[in-house]
Amino acid sequence: MQSRRHAPSNEDHGIDLAPMLDFCINLLIFFIITTSFIKETGVTVFKPEAVTAEHKESGNLLIAIRENGDIHMDRQHVELRDVRTRMERLHIERPEDSVVIIADKGSQAGAVAKVMDEVRLAGIKDVSIAADPGP
Amino acid sequence: MRKRRDQGGGHESSHGIDLAPMLDFVINLLIFFIITAVFVKESGLTVNRPTSFEQENKEDSKSIQIQILDNGEIWVDNRAVDVRAVRANVERMSAVNPDSGVLIIAQEKAPTGTLVQVVDEVHLGGIYNITFSTTQ
Repeated sequence: MQSRRHAPSNEDHGIDLAPMLDFCINLLIFFIITTSFIKETGVTVFKPEAVTAEHKESGNLLIAIRENGDIHMDRQHVELRDVRTRMERLHIERPEDSVVIIADKGSQAGAVAKVMDEVRLAGIKDVSIAADPGP
Repeated sequence: MRKRRDQGGGHESSHGIDLAPMLDFVINLLIFFIITAVFVKESGLTVNRPTSFEQENKEDSKSIQIQILDNGEIWVDNRAVDVRAVRANVERMSAVNPDSGVLIIAQEKAPTGTLVQVVDEVHLGGIYNITFSTTQ
């Protein structure tokens, strides 16, 4: 026992946890970086379908418009006049994010236009309308 | 030193820092982030909104105009057309005016589904410069 103490690698009698720990911390960093910045809307809407819909990499700010015209963002129901201030705040926090408006198939085009205008007034130029890419 | 170790656990044989609590903590954090992870990636169509300046000048521009009525009817060139015919119309008109954009004028209560279908058809017709405005 005393002689084994001198060999530094043999001191532990358990499994060496260091590689597992490295792996776990890497996974942890991966999940911290890749997630958590998307502002979910918290409601389900029936999106229209479009074959030419493009993948929005930075489309992290989501605004849902339901069929009855209710606006939802960040899991809350918001009024049209509040959209601008909220967007301004989020835009300052993460300036490179773009906005995707998830409008229900049956929602009114006027409501979509009003929300788009509010978002543009908040200083975000990259606004798109969500659509499911076709089969 | 020797004495303290004997008094303490007794089962500890390593003299390094005990990593187990840190490992527990890290794995808990990891599980938290995995559970809260959201992998939503939206796909969408980008359309422009006219500025007030453009709105005044839209009459004299050569852009292709598509109107969507409240009841979902689509009008191109003063004719009511089917959604599937929009693409052909756009292709024909862009052949005449190659660098013209498309102006979609929707009435306030026009359904968004129709709007997106029209935008999709215009994209298929080869034009990505789409402006979307609404009327009462």
